[in-house]
Amino acid sequence: MTKVRAIAWNTFSSLLRNKIVILFCAGCICVLLLLLTPLLVLRNGRSAQNPELMQMAVLPVIATMMQFVSGFGSLLAAWSAADAVAGEMRSGTILAVLARPVRRWQFLLGKFLGVQLMMLVFVILMLGLNYLLAWIGGATISTSPWVLIVYPMVRYMIYSALGILLVTVMHPILAFCIVLVMMIAAGLAAPANPETFMPGWLRTGLFYVLPSSNLLSETRFLTITRATLRAALWTDHATALIYGLDYALVCFLLAAWIFRSRSLSRD
Amino acid sequence: MAAVIEFQRVTKIYRRLFSEEQLAALSDVSFEMESGHVCAFLGPNGAGKTTSISMLMGFFFPTSGQIRVFGRPPGDLAAKEQIGFLPENFAFHKFLTAPKLLRFHLQLAGRNPGGADTLIAGLLAKVKLNGYENLKIGRYSRGMVQRIGIAQALLCDPQLLVLDEPTSGLDPAGRREVLHLLAELKAEGKTIFLSSHILPEVEQIADHVVIINRGKMVRAGNLRDLLASGGQVEILADRVPDELRQSALRGASIEPAQNGLRVLIDGSRKREAVEALWAAGCDVIAMNPQRSTLEELFLKEVDQPGGAR
Repeated sequence: MTKVRAIAWNTFSSLLRNKIVILFCAGCICVLLLLLTPLLVLRNGRSAQNPELMQMAVLPVIATMMQFVSGFGSLLAAWSAADAVAGEMRSGTILAVLARPVRRWQFLLGKFLGVQLMMLVFVILMLGLNYLLAWIGGATISTSPWVLIVYPMVRYMIYSALGILLVTVMHPILAFCIVLVMMIAAGLAAPANPETFMPGWLRTGLFYVLPSSNLLSETRFLTITRATLRAALWTDHATALIYGLDYALVCFLLAAWIFRSRSLSRD
Repeated sequence: MAAVIEFQRVTKIYRRLFSEEQLAALSDVSFEMESGHVCAFLGPNGAGKTTSISMLMGFFFPTSGQIRVFGRPPGDLAAKEQIGFLPENFAFHKFLTAPKLLRFHLQLAGRNPGGADTLIAGLLAKVKLNGYENLKIGRYSRGMVQRIGIAQALLCDPQLLVLDEPTSGLDPAGRREVLHLLAELKAEGKTIFLSSHILPEVEQIADHVVIINRGKMVRAGNLRDLLASGGQVEILADRVPDELRQSALRGASIEPAQNGLRVLIDGSRKREAVEALWAAGCDVIAMNPQRSTLEELFLKEVDQPGGAR
């Protein structure tokens, strides 16, 4: 476990200095700031006159922002995981690491956990943002925060495992594009969506094959427009989370299986 | 003595995906290396040295043949525990400092980095990087990077050192220090397998040599024997009759020396030449084998038309 922990911590430190990840986050912050402006304008303009109206107008803006941050997180998880593995191959640092008594799956697991560590920081920041936005909107989130932590984390695990799986056989940019297309396709195939251009069989097929972002969305349980947690059975939570973890595990095991026979060289 | 490294009829063919095109990087290469020796693995650029080292470390897989390291397949954890590896153009995590990099590698070796400060300080002093503990590796010069690479290879007191171009990027003083270090390690009984293009330096420390060219092995064996065999022999005689110059000594180089004449002849004809001189009543004062250099041997082997493939 010392080896996996060392690789995970090294990956986390490396990701915090990764220029593309920093650029990703800077872009996200810019969009959030742009969205915050109308939110603040709405609040200042309406709060004094009609608090009910303010709630109705402000909270959908917050919900949109949260959806954006959540989607961004999935892409960030996929890119970070793909780049964490590909970056080591590109620079050649993988040779010095795997010359040590480290198994290839341990290397991948370390990379995966390092990405999860970064995504945990992201989720905690997002949770803080949730509360901040609710406070700006004049609402209180009266729920335990675990839903807001566990659900996105499971979703990010899936996307980072997918990123690692794809990067074991292709260039990270191509892997990222495929994940992006998968995300869009999964969103279009979700039963919650109104009719799309897709034929029924394709929609059903995609819904079963692609990771269901909808099923794993914390907004299924959290109605941000009411800022409360919907009542749900624990079995609902367990089923959704086990589905997500299972999907991530299958992707990771496939990645480890492919990686064990891959030739390692400086790309 | 048990072989530390064994290559048995190893072939590596690179194939392009969705294409018939293929390139044989190694063809039927076999050699062994015993414990406690320094083996120089030589070949011109593109000969297959890095491919061989990558297969030895378990990064690539041979198309056919077998490789064993400490009697185990390459990539085996027990074998890797005994290997210190320096890749060609050592790459590193630029945001780390030298002590942090060494601690990271200690953890990768499954050792507790706590209390390793003395070990790390000693290694940094050994490669002359003490005083740079707080400098990030991304700001190191090429030579400093090579030194930290050597330090990480020595980290867990390995029995076998696999060094791909250990003196690349170093200035003459740095190269001399690395050679000195390798000589110390040899004296400690470590087994060293190194590839290098700087042959005069390799010659100083290596006792075995494996030469490959275009993926095929062209020469392997004890360095001293290889340098002596096939070389010329110097015969010092008081005189050389003219008739011998046209017969037994035909093709030999004959020049005046201090006490007579110096005859330089191919080693395979030395007996015939000395017997002819004696028969002609000449006094043979001395006979010395002329040792060629590793560079001469290397150039002779790799320049041979059809010497490989």
